[in-house]
Amino acid sequence: MSIFTPTNQIRLTNVAVVRMKKGGKRFEIACYKNKVMSWRSGAEKDLDEVLQTNSVFVNVSKGQVAKKDDLSKAFGTDDLTEICKQILAKGELQVSDKERQSQLETMFRDIATIVAEKCVNPETKRPYTVSLIERAMKDIHYSVKANKSTKQQALEVIRQLKESMQIQRAHMRLRLVLPAKEGKRLKEKLKPLLKVVESEEFDEELEMVCLVDPGCFREIDELIRCETKGRGSLEVLSLKDVEEGDEKLE
Amino acid sequence: MGHTSLEKIIALQRNPANIRNLCILAHVDHGKTTLADCLVASNGIISNRLAGKLRYLDSREDEQIRGITMKSSAISLLYAIGEKEYLLNLIDSPGHVDFSSEVSTAVRLCDGAIVVIDAVEGVCPQTQVVLRQAWLENIRPVLVVNKMDRLITELKLTSQEAYIHLQKILEQVNAVTGTLFTSKVLEERAEKEKEEKEEKESEASGGDQVYDWSAGLEETDDSHLYFSPDQGNVVFASAIDGWDSGMAQFAHIYSQRMGIRAEVLLKTLWGDFYLNAKAKKIMKGAQAKGKKPLFVQLVLDNIWSLYDAVVTRRDKEKVEKMVTSLGVKLMARDSRHSDPKVLLSAICSQWLPVSQAVLSMVCEKLPSPLDMAAERVEKLMSVGARRFDSLPKETQELKQAFLQCSSEENAPVIVFVSKMFAVDTKALPQNKQRPLTQEEIAQRRELARQRHADRLAANQQAENQDALPVSCPALRQPKLEEDEGTKETFVAFARVYSGVVKRGQRMFVLGPKFDPTQALSMGCSASDALPAVPHLSCCSMESLYLLMGRELEGLEEVPSGNILGIGGLEECVLKSATLSTSPACPPFTPLNFEAAAIVRVAIEPKHPSEMPKLVHGMRLLNQADPCAEVLIQETGEHVLVTAGEVHLQRCLDDLRDRFAKIEISASKPIIPFRETVVRPPKVDMVNEEVGKQQKVAIIHQVKEVSQGRLSDTLHVDSSGLVTLTTPNRLATVAVRAIPLPQDVTRLLEDSSELIRTLEQLNMSLREGRRIDVSPRTLEAITELKSQLESLLQGRKWRNTVERIWAFGPRRYGPNILLNSVEGYHRPSVWQCLVKGERSGEAPVVRDFDNSIVSGFQLATLSGPMCEEPLMGVCFSVEQWDIQSSSEPQHQDSVEEDSASHEASGDGTSTAEGTSETSAQAEGITAGPSQAKRRTEAGSVDCYGPVSGQLIAAMKDACRHAFQAQPQRLMAAMYTCEIMATAEVLGRVYGVLGKREGRVLHEEMKEGTDMFIIKAILPVAESFGFADEIRKRTSGLASPQLVFSHWEVISSDPYWVPTTEEEYLHFGEKADSANQALKYMNAVRRRKGLYVEEKIVEHAEKQRTLSKNK
Repeated sequence: MSIFTPTNQIRLTNVAVVRMKKGGKRFEIACYKNKVMSWRSGAEKDLDEVLQTNSVFVNVSKGQVAKKDDLSKAFGTDDLTEICKQILAKGELQVSDKERQSQLETMFRDIATIVAEKCVNPETKRPYTVSLIERAMKDIHYSVKANKSTKQQALEVIRQLKESMQIQRAHMRLRLVLPAKEGKRLKEKLKPLLKVVESEEFDEELEMVCLVDPGCFREIDELIRCETKGRGSLEVLSLKDVEEGDEKLE
Repeated sequence: MGHTSLEKIIALQRNPANIRNLCILAHVDHGKTTLADCLVASNGIISNRLAGKLRYLDSREDEQIRGITMKSSAISLLYAIGEKEYLLNLIDSPGHVDFSSEVSTAVRLCDGAIVVIDAVEGVCPQTQVVLRQAWLENIRPVLVVNKMDRLITELKLTSQEAYIHLQKILEQVNAVTGTLFTSKVLEERAEKEKEEKEEKESEASGGDQVYDWSAGLEETDDSHLYFSPDQGNVVFASAIDGWDSGMAQFAHIYSQRMGIRAEVLLKTLWGDFYLNAKAKKIMKGAQAKGKKPLFVQLVLDNIWSLYDAVVTRRDKEKVEKMVTSLGVKLMARDSRHSDPKVLLSAICSQWLPVSQAVLSMVCEKLPSPLDMAAERVEKLMSVGARRFDSLPKETQELKQAFLQCSSEENAPVIVFVSKMFAVDTKALPQNKQRPLTQEEIAQRRELARQRHADRLAANQQAENQDALPVSCPALRQPKLEEDEGTKETFVAFARVYSGVVKRGQRMFVLGPKFDPTQALSMGCSASDALPAVPHLSCCSMESLYLLMGRELEGLEEVPSGNILGIGGLEECVLKSATLSTSPACPPFTPLNFEAAAIVRVAIEPKHPSEMPKLVHGMRLLNQADPCAEVLIQETGEHVLVTAGEVHLQRCLDDLRDRFAKIEISASKPIIPFRETVVRPPKVDMVNEEVGKQQKVAIIHQVKEVSQGRLSDTLHVDSSGLVTLTTPNRLATVAVRAIPLPQDVTRLLEDSSELIRTLEQLNMSLREGRRIDVSPRTLEAITELKSQLESLLQGRKWRNTVERIWAFGPRRYGPNILLNSVEGYHRPSVWQCLVKGERSGEAPVVRDFDNSIVSGFQLATLSGPMCEEPLMGVCFSVEQWDIQSSSEPQHQDSVEEDSASHEASGDGTSTAEGTSETSAQAEGITAGPSQAKRRTEAGSVDCYGPVSGQLIAAMKDACRHAFQAQPQRLMAAMYTCEIMATAEVLGRVYGVLGKREGRVLHEEMKEGTDMFIIKAILPVAESFGFADEIRKRTSGLASPQLVFSHWEVISSDPYWVPTTEEEYLHFGEKADSANQALKYMNAVRRRKGLYVEEKIVEHAEKQRTLSKNK
């Protein structure tokens, strides 16, 4: 049957191939471009919009269809639609241009949102807007890495942005209560970690209200817990020290 | 008249009887600035030839480009009638709606106004507005009907038709004035009635009361208000061609020619009179007899024939004949010019120069500062609802000072600043370059020569030794100059109402809320150190200027009744203020603005590092613009609020070029949303009753979705109770989300401040500390509690108020965490109310109590729909089990391992995040039990992660419980008040309907033809609303937007058709405009969250990229 005449061949265009190795054999299906990710995320519910044809191939570009025996051996069924669904869900594929683009865009936004949430303008103690952060990220030519989590990248972005604009992570406001005995010694140890000490009272216990960088919270927590053996306490007064309410410029 | 000398103006300023302060008001494009040009030209400041084309008072570049005036600017002119010389302080004002605030500032300083009307367009919306403004400020208007040439050249009316047309226009104007008058009379009457009623009630005396049914209109005389040429307060003009025709002039001309007395002619020239040529008598009833009215015959016909000869027919000979008969000298180059308009204006400007009639009318009809109405003074001085009589005696005495307007040395000085405007420092007279005198030039030459010699000498020296520093000072100098050059200086636009303002004088600055009684009781004077009276400060007049359009002239002193500029006030005056030497002076009533600022945009610098410059620039802008508002929002947005799109454009230009000098971008402001749940609906989208089976199906669907991820630890039952176990299987929480009644939500929102103090109290109580609370706060808390109790009634809400665990988000939001755990009695949030009785059943706080609260706070801060805060949701914790974690030490650590593993998998930040929250929870429960536990657990920090897990579990449980209920989005709503005339009512409704607005009610304003429509409009739809409504109604409707409340959007963002009928109605995809879904996806997209959307809608319709086909 392999007479290649124009009349009896079906040419597929816009093909995205999804491959899967199973039972020592390689299986491929022919899908439309930019559709497989939508199927996986559940946005696309119509299988016909994803599959070019519901036959399973060994090699799509050569047009070699997989043998029935191999299929039933590997998948335990010969229902082609069912097999296609399995391959769609678990197979590997080359991500198409639009899919990649939209993915990166979403991540870019996500990173900007996280940065905007975590940071403030140190002068006014007010957050920056997301669009401003986005612009700043573009200015420093930050490129999104698809394989790193957005939170991780956001922290990276904050570090890089600090060089070009007035930005810092919103401070946490903490209240430390330390027993008098260890108070002095511990204070010396804590000093490099605290950004601003707002108030300090020293009578039976040492009580301090201070602003710290959220990054070193864990250290402070551990330090206090270990050094005071549970007698000192730490209280978060606010997670983010930002100005609240609207302000009229006058 | 040659160039007016400064000395002459100063001399005239001393004589208030000959001063006229006036402004030009009109609809946009009716020729205010052109008219002003003609008046300016009469003083020789600009050439007659350029008058009407130069637009001298439009000094801004964008004003010239756009051809509209954007600010009010003043100029002082001289005018002489016979022996008498007048000083006219003329203020040109913008006509565009967006700048009506500028009109307000101009009107306040004037005693009279020239209202300009286009002869073709007649009364336009802004004409009505300016007439109203003039009316409200009690200033007297005169009318100029402009663009008469258009009647001839464009409409091609005959003189007879034109006469009728003009009559109609006058009727329209008078109708507007009449409406203003009646509404005022009715208002006064209503007030009087109210007072009377009150009196009667207080007296409570019987007796027959005669009710006065007459509307009061009959008693009040209003004839002086109306415009009529025979009253001499109307002038017909064509500013562009440079002519005008006042009645007086023509009466004067014809009285000589025809031998009829000028007074008679003046009376009969306008109206239904005609000239009986045979009898040489003026007879009545021109219309009835089919004769030409006198005005047509004597005035219009002449003008018409001139236009006919010059413009239409271009009859050279006839023109020459006319020219000679008029006694006008024509320049040869004018008559040879190819454009007939040039010839025309050359003839007209000599025959009937525009300034003549207008200026003489102004001088005769408008009041001088001396005749300021007592009524107006009282209105200015009585702020707000205070009656003039109620002001202190000293203040009432100041009224005399106003009325006398004396420039005596001892008279109290009163100045009102109506706006601040920015001037380039270079333009100030003290910094301006003067033309050099001969001597100075010689001096400079000498200097230059010397420098040259020095340099030669230096060069010679330099050959011997390196002489670098010589060039340094020279380099530094230009830099300094540059710095000064870029500065903006603020000049106050003000008027002296009484006394003499001198340079360097110290005066009080009275803020709008200043109360003279307070100051009087302290007894202070301007020379003293600043007294401690609120809203009072001191300043000194650093420099005084005469405003001459684009230029400023320095002055030493300004006597009363004049308009002036004051420099050096930018520190103490924001936008407008009252200055006085007497502390008894009350602040003037605030300017009434016709258009409030409603167009909001968020502004950002192009380069994020330029933020401080932007803030500084916005501050300056706020000072320079009477109407613009700037604010920084909680989200960090810098918002600029302006009156309209054109105003916005101007503000942006100003920011860019003058104040901030940076690149900026303006965008739609971020629109906030809230998330909430509602009761399950009884009917579906096609109004069919929802069957029981189907309801289960929906919940089943939700369960399926949520179980996709956390199947083994999460359980959702059919009633919406969500049970969730922590990953280490030690703790289980069961949470149910219940919608709060609307009233409760509102109450919680209104009392957020109170709840915040309540939380602070509780926190300190928990630590065993005592804070003294004022009984008033306690009372307020008790009241809040009882209010909540009264609102939360019914079986479902039994005893709920006592069981409130916390509020959220941020501990004071409109969401409630409810403790429905059996056998767990923790102290309620109201514990501060029951101080003494702690003896009874000691409430116990369980370990990790705060983890639950923190989880709740996190969940309410950002909901599952689009990470916006929740509102009006009650989370009821129905079950909470913890296995004691201290005994199975081993298992704990293992579980902890897995937990920390999970956390670290997400990267450092998540680990940090959980530790943050966990530690927070822990720290807050620094009660005795916690300390005990800590010693038990010893140095092992295993429970840290456990509390963290509990927070996460609680948060997830809340989110799932939320999702198990029908979710809705809440949109912020504006109340929108629209004033519109009857004819545009339909269009207003159209715009409102298109933008999802809902009309609440509509009523007619008594005594006028205006309707007041009250509607609500989602904030999300308000961008561009004001502009659209103005465009569609040609400016006849002006909306005002105020934030009012949050409203649930009724459509379900997750709704898909499920029943047969719904499929029939909405189709399979149900993509017919789901408002809530639209908003939700917009927010999600903005935040970079996942939006359930296909990248490509139709797979087959993609562009084919393969080559071999």
